[in-house]
Amino acid sequence: MSLLSLRDVSVSAGGAALVTGASLDIAPGELVALVGPNGAGKTSLLRAALGLVPLASGTASLGGRPVGGLAPRERARAASYLPQTRPLAWPNRVRDLVALGRFAHGAAPHRLVGKDAEAVEAAIAACGLFSLADRQADTLSGGELARVHCARAIAAGAPLLVADEPVAALDPLHQFQVMSLIAGYAKGPRGALVVLHDLNLAARFATRFIWMKEGRIVADGPPGETLTEARIAEVFGVRASLSGGAVRIEGPA
Amino acid sequence: MMSRALVPLLVVASLAALLAACLLGSTAMSPARVLAGLFGTGSSGDAVIIWEIRLPRALAAWLTGAALGASGAALQGLLRNPLAEPGVLGVSSSASLGATLALYYGLASLSAFALPVAAIAGALGATTLIGLAATRTSSVVTLILVGVALSSFAGAVMALALNFAPNPFSLSDMVSWMLGSVANRSFEDIALAAPFMAAGLAILFLNRRGLSALTLGEEAASGIGLDLKRLWVAVILGTGLATGASVALAGAIGFVGIVAPHLVRPLTGHDPARSLVPSALLAGVFLLVADIGVRLLPVTGELRLGVVAALFGAPAFAWIALQRRAVT
Repeated sequence: MSLLSLRDVSVSAGGAALVTGASLDIAPGELVALVGPNGAGKTSLLRAALGLVPLASGTASLGGRPVGGLAPRERARAASYLPQTRPLAWPNRVRDLVALGRFAHGAAPHRLVGKDAEAVEAAIAACGLFSLADRQADTLSGGELARVHCARAIAAGAPLLVADEPVAALDPLHQFQVMSLIAGYAKGPRGALVVLHDLNLAARFATRFIWMKEGRIVADGPPGETLTEARIAEVFGVRASLSGGAVRIEGPA
Repeated sequence: MMSRALVPLLVVASLAALLAACLLGSTAMSPARVLAGLFGTGSSGDAVIIWEIRLPRALAAWLTGAALGASGAALQGLLRNPLAEPGVLGVSSSASLGATLALYYGLASLSAFALPVAAIAGALGATTLIGLAATRTSSVVTLILVGVALSSFAGAVMALALNFAPNPFSLSDMVSWMLGSVANRSFEDIALAAPFMAAGLAILFLNRRGLSALTLGEEAASGIGLDLKRLWVAVILGTGLATGASVALAGAIGFVGIVAPHLVRPLTGHDPARSLVPSALLAGVFLLVADIGVRLLPVTGELRLGVVAALFGAPAFAWIALQRRAVT
């Protein structure tokens, strides 16, 4: 069964079409990289998939159920979302922040029991946050915070993980760490849809590429088929060379 | 852990302050006389002092503080800013306006409930306006400035309304509503305000987990399953009821809703949900102790409780504003 299914989805805001006629499916075991230039409609597509923006037309379903008919908590149990901007209002403890990932399961951050406690501890361990678990969030570095948000999303244990630029502003090591975590999550019954700007990182981890340009999906397939010099030029407007799976950007097309 | 002992500690402090309020006053009474007065075994004069003067006044101060403390903590959680509070956001002064209008246009003489209902209507009007403003801007600083404008506007309308009021009025009545006081409150006054207060506090308490979720920001909070609209409506309703009822009981008292949550937050892991109850209890203790001070200070004429609250609270407000640092 498809974890996420979009059929002819269009999204508009203030008269401008942000996404036009997008269709895609994500199956268990897939890590799908959503790539495209700034303003291509990637974030709008994610938000539409999660039911956070109304659809102008088309249908979106999570785990086979139309997203519009899901209560916020049901939706959160079907898909965990890591948005692009991640402001923290208060300097909470790391463990409490990760525990918020269990919100849709009815867990209170400071009174975790049973499955909730297990999921939070497992996420903390998976993201290497054990030594930081009792620290306040305002004492963490950017890389550490990124892992905290990742752990929060993982702790939800949802079948689908949707992440919007999870590695933006991270150094290469932390980019690799966060992508490894997501790849580890998107195995077996679970999958992930991840917006990425680094094509090399995407090629290293993704099982599939979805290319977006000007609100439309222009290509969808495994990196071996869709990651080509011609497509990079068409979608991003840059001249690139591919050698041994590595992408080298040479200049404007 | 400190956070576990916090609520029992504050409950004990509240009871101790209530007892102290019964002990202290212009007529010195021994603990034995107070206890005898409380249980009706002492002289009838003592029973009157305790049951008709000191205890209702003390309870009114504590309840007012508790309602404002919880409202402050909830608004801060909702707006994700430690400076949000019923006084700063203009909710208290709008409630004062409602109460004054009910008084001077004769509504209050029609029904005993008219005054609290008018105060609550004023408070709900203000929280609804803040909520509508929030749909147009995501900047909390803008919302607080809207609240400051609302506060001034309510004060001006109050002055204007009194100019046109059909009934004679005294300036000191208006000052009472603007500055806040719990002098001469009776159990009847409390009984009129308490149900609204309880309803407001219950709504806030039942929705506290949503405030924790909002720590992550609106986008991620929606992502983890928070119904953002429902939470807004709940907090608008809850703070409107609690603040409006507290103003009906004691007039507008500022800053306690900022100071108490600010002190509580580090002790509860900065979790807005867990801060709610301790903030209410601590604010109750604050106002009660301040009111005991008001009664004991050897000044000519009555010092208003709201004046004392502002004397300590306004500098604390500035200090908290300067301390502010956000995690991003």
